[in-house]
Amino acid sequence: MKNIMLWVRRYVTVYGIIMLCTFFMCLLFNPASELPVITFFGRIMVFTLIGLLSLVVYYSKEELTVKAWWVRTVLHLLLLEAVLLPLAHHWGFWHSGPDIVIYAGFILLAKALWLLVDYGISIKTAAQINERIRRNRLEKRIGKE
Amino acid sequence: MKVTVEQIGCAHEEELIVRCYDPGADWVGQVTEAASGQRTVCGWQEDTLHRLKLSQIFYFEVVDDRSFVYTQAEVFEAKEKLYEFERLCTGSVLFRCSKSMILNAEKIDYVRPSLSGRFEAVLSNGEQVVVSRKYVADLKRMLGVLES
Repeated sequence: MKNIMLWVRRYVTVYGIIMLCTFFMCLLFNPASELPVITFFGRIMVFTLIGLLSLVVYYSKEELTVKAWWVRTVLHLLLLEAVLLPLAHHWGFWHSGPDIVIYAGFILLAKALWLLVDYGISIKTAAQINERIRRNRLEKRIGKE
Repeated sequence: MKVTVEQIGCAHEEELIVRCYDPGADWVGQVTEAASGQRTVCGWQEDTLHRLKLSQIFYFEVVDDRSFVYTQAEVFEAKEKLYEFERLCTGSVLFRCSKSMILNAEKIDYVRPSLSGRFEAVLSNGEQVVVSRKYVADLKRMLGVLES
């Protein structure tokens, strides 16, 4: 159950990030575009699913070292570009040469945002843990006195 | 409350039995926590066998199928597998922090996040170990940040 909730939360986060990137991409490069809402949302859901399935590149029996983590992060980005770009082209999200650069840039941006959101959550968690450690230590010291 | 302390010989195993109305009461938790610190593990250093209290242990790590116990400044080799050690630590302040390590939460000075989604725990002896995101919820629960 705990794992299911974790993946649902990840799915929602990634979906939100893709929607945000799509919004800015349309706003900056094609403000007059009209999207068929249901089909569009369905396609974004498929993109999200691919994004999560591609996380398999991080799988390892051993704990990853920092270097191994960076290698796999680059691999993950390449995998996302390799799968999402042709699919997006097939669905008509980009057409010409310059489009592909912009689209690839937005995939990179989405990946960076994903990492930043994760890092933000980690900062909050670390602050909670450190505060608790500090409080526990203080309580112990007071108890001894 | 009645308190009984019985002295036994070295041939018997030390044991603590708590008879209480509410096993979730604060004092029960404090007693079991204190008692778990008295549990021991055998560690080898060269050809000498040492008996180490859980409260002395900073972390337990498996490297290349060999188990090691780390204290403040010493390293001992142990016979236990990771899952055996994990079972031994049930109810104590030691928790699984990564795929190959069990860490003593009381020895953590502070934690800091890393971009890789994991945490670095800086221990009171200055050592740094990795806490996986998967296990950080256990640490939060142990410290009382999360409700169990």
